[in-house]
This record gives sequence, structure tokens and C-alpha cells, in this order.
Amino acid sequence: MSDTTSGTSVLPSGRSGDYVRWLSLLACVAVIIVLPFVFRDAYWRGILTICAINILLAIGLDFIFGYAGQLSLGHSAFSGIGAYVSTVLVTSFGFNFWVAFVCGVLGAGLAGVLLSAFAVRLKGHYLAIASLGFAVITYQILVNWISVTQGPLGIYGIPSPPSLSIPGLPEISFANQQMYFYLVASFALLTYIVLRNLISSPIGDALIAVREDEVSAASLGIYGTKWKVVAFGVGCSIAGMAGCFYASFIGTLVPDAFFITESFMILAMVVIGGRGNLWGAVLGAVLLTVVPELLRGIGDFRLIIYGLALTFVALFLPGGLSGVIIQAMRRMGLAVSGVKGDAHV
Amino acid sequence: MLDLLPILAQQIINGLVLGSIYVLATLGLTLIFGVLGQINFAHADFVTLGAFAAFFAARLTGGNYIFAILAALLVGALLGLAINGAVFSPLRGQDETRPLVATIGVSVLLENTALAVLGPVPYVFDSPYSNQVIRVAGMFFTVQNMLVMIVAVLSIGALYMFLKLTFLGKALRALSQDREAAGLMGINQKQLIALTFVIGSAFAGLAGAMLGPVLVLTPFAGASVIVKAFAIVIIGGFGNVEGTILAGLMIGLIESFTTQFLTPGLSDIVVFGILLLMLAFRPTGLIAERREENV
Amino acid sequence: MGQTRRALAIASIAAAGFVGLQLLTGSAAAQNSTKVIKIGALLATSGAGSYQGAQQKEGAELAIELLNKTGVNGYKFQLHHEDSACGPLPATQAGKRLIETVKPDVIIGESCSDGTLAVMPLVQQAQIPLINASASSLKITEPGNPWTFRILPHAQMQSENFSNHVYEKLGARTAVLLFENTNAGIDTIDSFEKAFVAKGGKILAKIGFGRDVNDFTAIATRLAGLGPIDIIPTASLEGQGVKIAQALAQAGVTKAGGGKAIQLSNIWLPAGFDEKAGKAATGFIRIVQFDHLEQRKPVQDFLASYRAKFGADKTPSHLQAQGYDQVMLVADTVRRGATDAKSIRDKLLETKNLEGATGHVVFDGKHQNSSVDTMHYVETTADLNWKSLNWN
Repeated sequence: MSDTTSGTSVLPSGRSGDYVRWLSLLACVAVIIVLPFVFRDAYWRGILTICAINILLAIGLDFIFGYAGQLSLGHSAFSGIGAYVSTVLVTSFGFNFWVAFVCGVLGAGLAGVLLSAFAVRLKGHYLAIASLGFAVITYQILVNWISVTQGPLGIYGIPSPPSLSIPGLPEISFANQQMYFYLVASFALLTYIVLRNLISSPIGDALIAVREDEVSAASLGIYGTKWKVVAFGVGCSIAGMAGCFYASFIGTLVPDAFFITESFMILAMVVIGGRGNLWGAVLGAVLLTVVPELLRGIGDFRLIIYGLALTFVALFLPGGLSGVIIQAMRRMGLAVSGVKGDAHV
Repeated sequence: MLDLLPILAQQIINGLVLGSIYVLATLGLTLIFGVLGQINFAHADFVTLGAFAAFFAARLTGGNYIFAILAALLVGALLGLAINGAVFSPLRGQDETRPLVATIGVSVLLENTALAVLGPVPYVFDSPYSNQVIRVAGMFFTVQNMLVMIVAVLSIGALYMFLKLTFLGKALRALSQDREAAGLMGINQKQLIALTFVIGSAFAGLAGAMLGPVLVLTPFAGASVIVKAFAIVIIGGFGNVEGTILAGLMIGLIESFTTQFLTPGLSDIVVFGILLLMLAFRPTGLIAERREENV
Repeated sequence: MGQTRRALAIASIAAAGFVGLQLLTGSAAAQNSTKVIKIGALLATSGAGSYQGAQQKEGAELAIELLNKTGVNGYKFQLHHEDSACGPLPATQAGKRLIETVKPDVIIGESCSDGTLAVMPLVQQAQIPLINASASSLKITEPGNPWTFRILPHAQMQSENFSNHVYEKLGARTAVLLFENTNAGIDTIDSFEKAFVAKGGKILAKIGFGRDVNDFTAIATRLAGLGPIDIIPTASLEGQGVKIAQALAQAGVTKAGGGKAIQLSNIWLPAGFDEKAGKAATGFIRIVQFDHLEQRKPVQDFLASYRAKFGADKTPSHLQAQGYDQVMLVADTVRRGATDAKSIRDKLLETKNLEGATGHVVFDGKHQNSSVDTMHYVETTADLNWKSLNWN
């Protein structure tokens, strides 16, 4: 019976693993449903939604960086592409939200594929800087192509998705904070499950092989180029999804939302949470969204703490916080399964 | 048409001055990458801190610019030593993305600490020379600009002599070409690497002192230069000093000419477009240096 | 067995987390029984525009202190500030936070046009009146938002007025336009262009730049090659403004550098700009919203209170005056009987020629102040002081 997990999982493998996996899924669904009742004011519900959006961004980047080993420093550019494509289609061309959404996601994915195909021979630092360069160009296009994107003037009054009418149920309006949160959180959960399954499948194996040793992988018939492009395509599409939600949630769209510093924030979520661990990325996203809000009274100090945390984790905790948690659980004697896929713990 | 000539000549000068500043800011990155194969993402903030060190030193001494430059050099050198000791040295031999990510963290930390201490309102750093203007044949040079070019030429010349003529310099070049062999020749890698960081970061500080009067001086001033610095490193060829100089000057010229004939906002697109083209078709850069990639 | 232990551990940590979070984000303290008008303030106290918010807040706080000495109709005033950082994103977040947690009766701000535009849909939905005194984009009042009011003359009012004056009084015929790529910058310059060309002037070049541009030597050089220029209307924040003035002087384009051109600015630059730009600012002509030398009573009263609080050697700029006037306007509505958001809005609509430190306030059909005496023209002299031009 082969070990079907990749990445370090805190869940035992085998049949009891399946059982616990279903339980975890139900627990997640329960948590999502309950959260807006715990946080009743609109401001905190907004933070929850942003949390879900950041989770999408973090797991997308984790797929590219953590699993496929491609250091992409411009992830927010793809989010920007998704946001602008969908928003412009809705506000300037009257497209239906969901059609525009699909276009935004595809657009971002396509851009990711292009960057990857283009940069396919590049490794390590070259790729990092190429991705940075791509992000800068994307940002400049968003800023300068005023006739389409309005540039720094901004697009205001972006509508929420249209209401959902399911026969027999009252109409679900997404202008309602709570419903909007459920919408984004559902997408986040579904995306997580899809990624998890991808990683557990032979595709995940291929990605990890490419990450660890591209030359040996080639000798096995696993060609780095194809898989890197796949990783980028998937990860960037997810970023595009996040961008679409972000735009309709905030209601205002300006290029500054996708400046390079945002990419660093997403990278911080992945690194601090622990890359190569999908739930680590989720943890990082939640922490780095919620903690700065709680520290808001301290003002600019929260960014100082961001920097400190990122440096500290990169220096001393290569597995991120999830790595620390896994080690702690191991020490407590709790069964933690296969290390396949995660190079750090 | 003839009217345009002095303007074009002026833009060439503007471009060269800007380019010299970019070169100064980027040389450190090139040196460090050549010897270590690593990128210090906080390099930009060394530039910023060098600029502020120069600003306060100048204020303290009632406008002594020489003292300001020295202060900037010192601050840069110390920062280089610190980041080598704290980040690069301990992580040597580990996964190469870790120091990169760590330096991103350091960069965020430095910028926001500086923001908390210095505030977001721009500082006006007027060197005693920035308002003295020399006008010749329809063109103008501020004494500050001349100073920048002289300092750039002198410091790059000094670097060259160091690399080609002194033992340490030759050891550095050996190290950048083949680390294993250099080690076999009895070269103390740790010390050399530390030295490289000191020199490279001192250059960053120097660039800051030169940049201070030019930029809108805030804690994020260096950040505006760093992305271009990376572009220059790649376009010029990683680890290649001549390439960096060529690419830096070229980018300065591109900026001033884009501003002259198009609009300022497009210069970034042009520069990064060139970067991406370079990466696609000639990743080794303008002046390729033969490097064996250990497979 | 291990599974149950683990499940319990996770559950208790999660529960503790929830409880902790609830406590931290829980609802505000018990209600106060005295009658209070809550004034929300969305002012930029961080980022490139932070000098605006910081000074506006000073003026607003001063007004509140003065008013609370006696109260108005039994009401006291409270200022609740959130940093909106002069940009649409932080302003949106700050606005949502302010409206949700404080539930103010009226909001003053934002410091900049982009931020104000972002906040306008929020106040419309929450039905809270918004009073702006520093954002010049036309889009704030032209489309007609029932909940937004503006004291500051907008970009078109300023630019048209300016354009007429320079055409007639200075004989200006050629212009080069320099502007930051934001709503305010573009609106300011577009209005100037339209007005100037309509009068018969000629635009030699129109150059926009982002807030990230540092070196203006190339732009100044480009101007030097355009032939004789009479005026250079400039729309930028202070940091870049200083660099532009210096570069233009270095290039010999402006009077300060031996050339002929005069730089112009609408209500954008704070006091202190001239000291920072130095000699390069000589000859600069601009509109200011507040002139402390004016002998009108509201001006002198404001000046006296400011000096009493901050020192006799300190002089407020139009930024403090903006904050001050906004609060005083709110107080005026309360004096006339307003008690909450809706009644404040109704009373604002009825404002009749209220006199503030910046000038008179008369709202037209689109809630825009139509009075022109808020625009004062000054020229920077060789010793970096202001000379009133008395054009209005």
C-alpha cells in the first residue's frame, strides 16, 4: 500500500487517515459557517474575507515555490491581472460577474504560463529577478494604460457578484458581508482540496522530483519545463481568483494594491507558515492577516514585526511555523506521517 | 533641428549622471554576487541608510560634504559586515533561497524601522553644491553632478586597481571564478567574503551619499533604485563589473531619453522589457563571462 | 488515543483563541450620558501626504478644544481620527473601520482626492455627511452625491480663476503643464488647460509623472528645449514639488534660475515649502487658502487661539485652517439645531454665507462651496516670504 501523502501531514495515513481527513473537512466547513456569528461587526467580517483571499494567494504561491521550488517574487502581479481583467470586463463592457471572473482567472493563469515558459531555463536568482521584472512591468502597464485601467485614477464602485436565487430558498445577496465571506471561503476550501489532491497524485510527485533534482528527473522522463509551466499556470490562476474577489470586495481598484511589496507579503506568509506544507501556507496567511489587525494600535510597528518575523523564520526556522508544530507533535509522541515532499522537517 | 542639439547633449549628460549613480548603487550587488552567488535584498536599504548617514553628518558639521561621504562609507561598510555575519555566513551551504528571503525580511525591517524613527516626510538634503550651476554652451551642470561623476570614476578606478593589482583583489577574482580551486590555493574564504561585503556595501553607502541630494529622501528612497539595480546586474551580466558599468550607464541614458521623447512613466517598462529580453536570449548578460555551471 | 489527545489540544487552543479574539475586538465601553457629537476624521497621517493630515488634525483638535469650553446647545464634540494615508485603499479600510466601530455623526476628510473618492460610496451607504476641505478633484461634487460637501474651491474653479488672472495680469501666453498622475493632479491640469486655451493661450507640453519619480533634471531639460515659456502650472505634493522647483532653476528655465518662466500652483503646497526649496522658489505664484495677514475677525481669532496653544512664534498654514473650519462648520449646524447625522446634513444644506478662517462658505446645488474669497494669491519674494497679490 503506497503512501499517498506528499508534504508532511499531521494526519496518519491509511484508512484511519481517510476517516480523520473527512472529519477535518467537516471541521473546516463548520468553522467557516460559525465564524461570522462569532465576529458580528462588519469590520471584522471584512477581515475574515481578506483572510480567505490571502489564503488563496498563499496556497497558490506555496504550490509554485514550496512544491515546485520556483521562487516567484512577483505573485501579486497575477492577482492584479485577475482583478483588472474581471473588473474592466464588468464595469466597461457590462459582462456578467462570473463570466468576467473566469476570464480573470484564465488571464492570470495564462500570464503565469507565459512567464514560466519564458523563464524556463532560469534558475534560482535569475528566475527570482525575472519574476520581479515581470511584476514591475505588469504594474507599470496597469498604471500607464489609463484608457483601459484608469491607472492611478482608480476604478470606483465595483459591484458585488449578482445575487443567487435557488428555488425554495431566500435570495442570497453577496452585498451582505456574511454571504460574501462564505463565497470566498468556499472557493478557498475547494481550491485547497484540489491542490491537495494534485499534490497527492503523480503530478505532485513530478513537481517534487523537478524541485529536488531536475537533471535526475529528466533521466526518468520527467521534464522540468512542462511541470514548471503547469505549476505556474495553476498557482497564478489561483492568484487571479483572489484578485477578482479582492476587487469586488473592496469596491475600489488601484494599481498600488499590486505593487511589489504585496508580493513580499505573500512570500512572508508562505515562508513563515512553512513552505512545502499546504496547511502551513494557510496558517501563515491567517496569522499575517489577523495579527497586524490586532496590533493596529501599534501603528507602523506591525510592519517592523513583519520584517523581524520573516528574517527570524528564514534564518532559524526553515520549516516555518508548521515545521515547528510538526516537530513539537513528534516530540509529544503523536504520529506524524511520511516526509515525502517536504525537504525541511 | 539645431536647437535640439544642446538639449540632446544635456540629456546625455543627465543620463550619464543618473547612470553613474545607478552604477555606484549596483556595484556592490555585482561584487557580492560574483564572489558568493548570493543577492542581498537589503542592499537598497544600505543605500538609503547611507544617504541618511550623509544627511545627518552634513548637518552635524554644518555642511561638510566630505565628512558626509565618509560617514556614508562607514555606515555602509558596517551594515555589510553585519548582514554577512548575521545572514550569509551562518546560512552558507544551505538552500540558496533562504538568505534571499531572510534579506527580504531585513529589508522590510530596516525600511519600517527607519520610517518609525525618521518619519515619512521627505528630508531635503541640499549638498552645498547642488545649487551651484555651471553653464557652458547652452548646457548646464550642477557642481553636484560633476562631483557624482568624479566620485564614480575615482571609486570605480580604485576598485579596478584593487581587483587587478593587489593580492586580495586577485584572490577575490579567483574566488568568483572557482570557489573550490581558490580554497585549494589556501585562500581564506570566510575573510574574503566578509571583505567583499564590506566593499560592496560601502559602495552602497557611497551611492546613498551621492543620491541623497538627488532623490526625494525618505526611508523608501533606496527601494526606488533597487529594482533597477537588479535589472542592471542581469543586463550587465551577473558578477561582471564591466557589464554593470555599461548597463548602468545605458539605463541612465534610456531614462533621460524616454523622458525627453515620451513620458517619464514609460522608462520603467522599457528598462524591464530589455531585462526580460536579455533573460530570454542572452541570460549571461551583455558581456558574458564564462561560468561553469556545475550540473 | 493519541488522536483524542491531539483533538482535545487543538480544540482548547482554538477555543482560547476565539475567546481571546472576541475580547480584543469586542464592543466599545459603556455609553456616556452627556450629549456628544462624534466627528470622524479621515486624515492622512502617514505616507507622502502625511504633512496634510497631521496639520489638519491640529486645526480640528484646536477647534474642538475651543468649542468644548462651553459646548454648543448642550452638546460637546469628540474627534475620532483614522489614518487614511492619502490613498484609496487605506482610505477605504480606514473609512469602513471608522464607520463601523465609531458610528460618527459626521466625517471630515479625506486629505486627498483619491481617498475622498474612495470614501464617498461608504458615507452614502451609511448615510453620514462628509465634509471635505482639501481635495480638489471635480469628481467629488460634479456627479452630485447627496452626502458629500466641500468647502475648498474645486480644481476647475481654481484653475479657471488662476488662468484668467495670469493671462490678464501677467500677459502669459505660453504654458507647460507638470502634474502627478492622480485624480487631483489630472483634474487640476486639465481644467487649467481648458481655461487657458479658451482664453487664447498655448500649451507647449503636458508632462505627467508618478509619485515614484525622483529626478526631475531630465524633465527640466526637456522644458529648456521648448522655447520661451511664460508659466509652468505644477500639480504635485511637497516632496516632488521641491525637486521640480530646484531642477527648473538649475536648468535656467524659471526666473529663479535666470530664465523667464514663472511656476504656478493651486492649493497644494504647505507653508514651509519655500524654505525647503530655497532660492529656487523665488517668484513662485500660488493660491493659498489661508492668509494669516488678513484682518477679518475669524482669521485673527483663529490665529490668536493657535498661537495661544502652540506659541507666539508659530503660524498656522491653510492645513490647520482647513481642519479648524470643518469642525466650526459642524458646530454651526449644531447651533442651528442639528443633533445627528441626518439633521447635520439637512442643516449643512441650509448654510448661508458662514464665515470661516479660510473664507466664506456657500453651498451650491452640488454641495460645492461657490464662494471665491477662499482663494488668495501670493508670490514668493527673494527672501522667501509671501507677498499678497490681491487678485481676488
